[in-house]
Amino acid sequence: MAHETHHGEAGEHSEQTHIEMPAPTFWPMVFAFGVALLLAGIVTHWAVSATGFVIAVCAAFGWWHDVIPHERHEEQPIEPALRPEPILVETRSVVRLQLGEGGHRRRIPEKIHPYSAGFWGGLAGGTAMAGLACLYGLIAEHSIWYPINLLAAMVIPDLGQASIEQLRAFNGLAFVAAFIGHGVISVLVGVVYAVMLPMFPKYAPFWAGILMPLFWSGLVATTLDIVNPAMNARISWPWFVACQLGFGLVGGFVIARSTSISTMQAWSLAERAFLEAPPRDEK
Amino acid sequence: MASIDYPLERPRPKEGEFSFSETLYRWVATVDHKRLGLMYIVTALLFLVIAGLMASVMRLQLAFPNNHVVGPETFNRLFTMHGTTMVFLVGMPFVAGLSNYLVPLMIGARDMAFPRLNAFGYWIFLFGGLLLYFSYIGGGGLSGHGSAPDVGWFAYAPLTSKAFSRGASTDFWILGILVAGIGSVASALNVIVTTICMRCPGMTLTRMPMFVWVMLIDSWLIIIALPPLTAAQVMLLIDRFLGGNFFNTQAGGSAVLWQHFFWIFGHPEVYILIFPAFAILSEVIPIFSRKPLFGRAAMVGAVVAIGFISLGVWAHHMFAVGMTSWSNTFFAASSMLVGIPTGIKIFNWTATMYGGKLRLDTPMLFCCAFLLQFLVAGLTGIMLAVSPFDWQLHDSYFVVGHFHFTLIGGLVFGLFAGMYYWFPKATGKLLCEKLGRWNFWLFVIGFETTFIPMHFLGILGMPRRIYTYAPDRGWDFWNLVSSLGVIAQAAAIALFIWNVIDSIRSGEKAGDDPWDGWTLEWATSSPPPEYNFEKLPVVRSSRPLWDLKHPHDPDWKFEQ
Ligand SMILES: [Cu+2]
Repeated sequence: MAHETHHGEAGEHSEQTHIEMPAPTFWPMVFAFGVALLLAGIVTHWAVSATGFVIAVCAAFGWWHDVIPHERHEEQPIEPALRPEPILVETRSVVRLQLGEGGHRRRIPEKIHPYSAGFWGGLAGGTAMAGLACLYGLIAEHSIWYPINLLAAMVIPDLGQASIEQLRAFNGLAFVAAFIGHGVISVLVGVVYAVMLPMFPKYAPFWAGILMPLFWSGLVATTLDIVNPAMNARISWPWFVACQLGFGLVGGFVIARSTSISTMQAWSLAERAFLEAPPRDEK
Repeated sequence: MASIDYPLERPRPKEGEFSFSETLYRWVATVDHKRLGLMYIVTALLFLVIAGLMASVMRLQLAFPNNHVVGPETFNRLFTMHGTTMVFLVGMPFVAGLSNYLVPLMIGARDMAFPRLNAFGYWIFLFGGLLLYFSYIGGGGLSGHGSAPDVGWFAYAPLTSKAFSRGASTDFWILGILVAGIGSVASALNVIVTTICMRCPGMTLTRMPMFVWVMLIDSWLIIIALPPLTAAQVMLLIDRFLGGNFFNTQAGGSAVLWQHFFWIFGHPEVYILIFPAFAILSEVIPIFSRKPLFGRAAMVGAVVAIGFISLGVWAHHMFAVGMTSWSNTFFAASSMLVGIPTGIKIFNWTATMYGGKLRLDTPMLFCCAFLLQFLVAGLTGIMLAVSPFDWQLHDSYFVVGHFHFTLIGGLVFGLFAGMYYWFPKATGKLLCEKLGRWNFWLFVIGFETTFIPMHFLGILGMPRRIYTYAPDRGWDFWNLVSSLGVIAQAAAIALFIWNVIDSIRSGEKAGDDPWDGWTLEWATSSPPPEYNFEKLPVVRSSRPLWDLKHPHDPDWKFEQ
């Protein structure tokens, strides 16, 4: 046997012959019996409670004598026959998986774009998208307010019944609603982009700039009837897809240009919880 | 290559050297955490058999329509005593027994922090259980009405008022549970103080075994959740004996108040019961996958999160009461939140197995079944958390199927895994593996046959707690199937008991470390001496025994 034997701390022998352990006592049992009887008297007879009370008081005194003034102990002899078997040393060694090693599925990015890149990317993409949409309005309906009013119809139901003239005219409330809605959604999508871009295995610009806008267009095409029926009735899908592509390409470009920062995944739990100072970046 | 000459066949001092009365004294007066742990577990197993027999009688009664094995009054007592026993006299002592036996061994301590309180906890739990069962004799009370309690395990008001529950049976229910609850709180307190104060040198909280972590959180839950129940029970006693009106709607009291009190305790209680299974799985799965637990920190976080969230979901048991839609929405949402940390746990156990070198011994088989069955229980749980869905299936057999999947498919399977895993530590003998496999497969088949049909019955509209039904309801077939499953389950339990008795008498010697374990309990002899460790161990990682077995490759080189 190529096993090495080993006693380890847990199985080590001590110099003593005895170990002090708390002495056995039946007072806790008697006390428990007394308390149980005390309560059982409520449903049976007061005499049961009285007996229980007397037993509990006696047991309490007995218990106190076990610990006051000194806890009673019992010397347990150390029994050599009860010593554990020696611990066998494994001769096989262990190969630890290294991050990024062949065959190890690694999908967690080591470096990510900062959230601020997502914010600015979202704003830039949103501007490009708005520009394209206004261009569409100008060409198709001779009014840049047309697409803005249609977007606002999502939250202002009255616009759903509006005539084409009303949709072409400037509407202050609709403009504010569309501006806020478009801005917030653009920024949020930008942040999602920033988080997701490093996770794509390859061709991130292709995913971000082309495929994601197409997926999103598909999603909108299937749900727009519910979310914004007014827009659904009037939308021009080629232009819509063009606007989405505009967002994806411009936003993705801005995000991709940002400097990446490393994630906290190599940090210890305490560092991630900011209980300890994070490690300095080594060059 | 230093080899220490050591006799593996060691002579052991014989228990037979003591006379019967001495042996009795050694058990009755013991303050040793290991003996008390075993006493808890054996008592729990006895109550498990009693409550299991009650369930069998109920299934026999329901096997055929218009059956008359027992009458309606007996049936009410059966389901009340079955539920009460399983929760308070089986689940709770298992929590206490497992943590008593294992926590000090795992953290390298000689005993619990309060050894005498520990003994008190066991005995008061036992006397509480006996008080509850004494109701069969004394429940008639002076007026001669009733025997055992028949108000259901959650004893809804106003059913428990003097007007509807005459005699003393409900009082025995109140007092038995109240007395047993004192024991649960005592032992939970003991576990908390022990884990906080008595860990061996080097065992920081981050190195503490997952089992101990889960039992620590479990004990906190007990301390937080039990007092509302005790308070409500005292209020009920005041109503019944002193003419109070807490739960008396006609005098300005509130019956719904009882439901709130009961479920503020009752929902965390189901987590108190399932946590030991989580604790067992977190030890057994890594050992039988030969891989450390995946995502330890996330596992601890998930347990803390489950414990915390479970304190804010109680009213999902009361969707049908007629709360405001805001309350319904809040409790539906918070209940679904529990799914997130629970999902983390399921995924992490699976990830521990993924790529591991699996050893499918009996403990691991029970763990695998747990993962699948508990997943189903979790999914039906999320279905019931959707309040409109709950309105349809509330108080139906679908709910019965759901919580038996949780507590049998989850808890009992976990307990079996734990008992097969630690039995060699407690007795020095291995449980027979062949009988273990029979036990496992019979139990799986019996369990699925009994409890899957209950979901169908619930959807078909069968209410829970009915003692019989007419033959034209379309419930006959599934009820019969469900009852047939009991046979296989009973056979499995009988096999287990036989396995235990036979293995103690003439089982294969286990040695100190039969599973090639990593935590400290496997570093001492089997069964461990009174003092657990001759010299208190010093640990440097979460797998101290691994470090000793692999001195060239210890964990502390990699852990932070
Ligand atoms: Cu619940």
